[in-house]
Amino acid sequence: MKTITVAVVGNPNSGKSTLINALAGTALQVGNWPGVTVEKKTAKMQINGVLINLIDLPGTYSLSPYTQEEVIARDFLVTEKPDLILNVVDATNLERNLYLTVQLLELGIPVVIAMNIFDEAKKKGYMIDVEKIEKLLGIKVVPTVATKKDGIKVILSTIQQIAENSELYKPKKLNYGEDIDMVLEEIEKTVKSTHRELANKYHDKWLALKILEGDQLILNEAGLEGNEPFISRAKNHLSKTHKEDLETLLADARYGIAHGVTQEALKKKNSEKLDITERIDKIVLNRYIGIPIFLIVIWLVFKFAFDFSAPFTDWIDELIFGPVTRWTVVALNAVHSPEWLISLVSEGVIAGVGSVLVFIPLIGIIMFILTLLEGSGYMARVAFIMDRVMHAIGLHGKSFIPMILGFGCNVPSIYATRVLETERDRKLTAMLCPLMSCGARLPVYIVIIGAFFKSYSATILWSLYVLGIIMAVVLGFALKKTLYKGFTPVFIMELPPYRLPTFRDLRIHTWQKLKHFVVKAGTYIFAVSVLMWFLLNVSFGTTKENSFLGKTGKMIAPVFEPLGFGTWQASSSLVAGVIAKEVVVSTMAQIYVGETLSEELNSQSTFVDDIRETVVGLGKATEDAFLNLFSGFGIKSLSAKEEEENSLLEERLKNVFSPLAAYSFLVFVLLYWPCIVVGATMKQEFGSWKEYGQAMLIHSIMAYTVAFLIYQTGRLIGL
Amino acid sequence: MKLTELKIGQKAKIVSINTRGLIKRRLMDMGLIAGTVIEIEKIAPLGDPIDIVIKNYHLSLRKTEAETIVVEEVK
Repeated sequence: MKTITVAVVGNPNSGKSTLINALAGTALQVGNWPGVTVEKKTAKMQINGVLINLIDLPGTYSLSPYTQEEVIARDFLVTEKPDLILNVVDATNLERNLYLTVQLLELGIPVVIAMNIFDEAKKKGYMIDVEKIEKLLGIKVVPTVATKKDGIKVILSTIQQIAENSELYKPKKLNYGEDIDMVLEEIEKTVKSTHRELANKYHDKWLALKILEGDQLILNEAGLEGNEPFISRAKNHLSKTHKEDLETLLADARYGIAHGVTQEALKKKNSEKLDITERIDKIVLNRYIGIPIFLIVIWLVFKFAFDFSAPFTDWIDELIFGPVTRWTVVALNAVHSPEWLISLVSEGVIAGVGSVLVFIPLIGIIMFILTLLEGSGYMARVAFIMDRVMHAIGLHGKSFIPMILGFGCNVPSIYATRVLETERDRKLTAMLCPLMSCGARLPVYIVIIGAFFKSYSATILWSLYVLGIIMAVVLGFALKKTLYKGFTPVFIMELPPYRLPTFRDLRIHTWQKLKHFVVKAGTYIFAVSVLMWFLLNVSFGTTKENSFLGKTGKMIAPVFEPLGFGTWQASSSLVAGVIAKEVVVSTMAQIYVGETLSEELNSQSTFVDDIRETVVGLGKATEDAFLNLFSGFGIKSLSAKEEEENSLLEERLKNVFSPLAAYSFLVFVLLYWPCIVVGATMKQEFGSWKEYGQAMLIHSIMAYTVAFLIYQTGRLIGL
Repeated sequence: MKLTELKIGQKAKIVSINTRGLIKRRLMDMGLIAGTVIEIEKIAPLGDPIDIVIKNYHLSLRKTEAETIVVEEVK
């Protein structure tokens, strides 16, 4: 069967991903471009006996490499040479979109234009003469409305026709103006005689253009220096006849073509009234009420993400650690399994699966919200409003969203770094997010504050959150000067029109992310959970002290002596905290208080009871989720059993920690290595364990240093 | 005059961009070409960045970059 490769190229915000989703449907595969954090979507489909291999290139404004996305798009087009380019053009923003089209036409690869968002353009009073554009450029232009799947069939059949019969593709020669055209022709002639191989490999005009532009990759391949007589002659000629530099001349010429086509093909009905986007922005970006509105939006995002998902998370948690564990134990007992196997399955395997599954509601809801923010256009406004603040600490305005999510949970923060435009910004933000004190650290704070700082609990709690933010600023500065130095792409950002994302896009994007989390990140989280079971349970005696974890704790305890908590119990708890920071508390409870008989495992309920309860529980969770939306923020109240356990633990802790050591311990828990779930997410997003390794090391050193300073200073002043 | 000297609602024509390399190319790629008319639409609530209308779309850039763009007022 004939196979054709089609690259989909277009400006950001041109509705490209909606078009891809509409074209590919369930055939869509989402992954990363090799070695980078840029999303790559592909799909294979069969139309009338032709196999179409669709490859989505990152959204780009131009083929001159600026961001990593643009480098990827350019490299793919130049080296992989797809059979056809499907250029998605935003009909409401014709001129700037056609500027990219001009550069695509230079490549000599057949181009088909999807004139997208055609409905909105019509509504704005834009009359676009599609046939005129076809005639001026000599290529096929198909009007589409990707959100409604309009024009999708025509696109596919046009692609297929051109792929089968290249005679159908007759692009017009692009006119850059007399002088440039002349020097290009001369370069073309010279290159054809001196570099025949290269001339065969690339389109003649493109090759000449790149040599004139001094494109390093092409010059290297041709073995040219860029100052050969025929190149210098061309450059000299242009600098004599024009006062601008070469780059400006070419950008002028390309925009000249785009402008010419737009002038001819676009007629605007005069409409005096402001369009919807401008009306919304008048309010949303207003000098006085812009920030209050922004704060409300962020509050709603937070509310939805964490308060709405919490009851579902609890429901999954109860289901897995209640009925699922209980009945598995019953089943294993029925076949007379040995004690260790029952423990491994219930506390290792099921707990491991559970620790992945509990994240599903949270990640699903946050991905949904992020897609909504991005697709609607509000994300760009967040960046616009917050850039002043984020820029001060060396980040992009868009970093605000991942950072703020970090206060709920650091895992979705890592996913949210995708909204950033460059890999550097993504990684730098991911390194700082774990310093936002997440919800899992709260149980640790509550227990320790309850034991030592009851009378000024709010101040102590507040001080920890603020310390986290301060350390993020400090670390941000340090990393910018060391690991993340180099060229920083500046803030030159389009404020796209507000649009309502389609449900299809929201669903596909959310589903893809969830799948990746469960399958890819989930594997690692599961593995670490099982490993921790071994550490906790394989023992050389019968006491916790002699388990692997206890031994490890004992071994590293002296390290923590200068911080005030050099006991094996404290250090074992910290090691176990790699699974999740709240595990620090549960491990402490196990060690200090000892096994409390879990009532749930001994409950007398029948299988049917459990199923009924689980279903009822889901209904209750849904109800709670909606109720939570209307309630204020609050720390979830603890159950009576947890209270009792906590108060026992608090009593014990009072005997082993001094208040100063307790505070030092809190600071250490706040700042030390991010949990394995964050690590597995980083690995999945950035493609290697390097970033998590760096984060573990850097954060732990920072935690140690700060806790050390606090404890030692405290001792000096006699606390 | 510099782009940053314009007031909100004022229109101006781009004369030149006084920066080099990647940033200049990016600005040109986004449509900031000599002769193009732009309008200052608004300034962010915290004073930076600014929002300009160019070629019928909204572009935001920081004052640092806007300073390098030379314009002349259009009456």
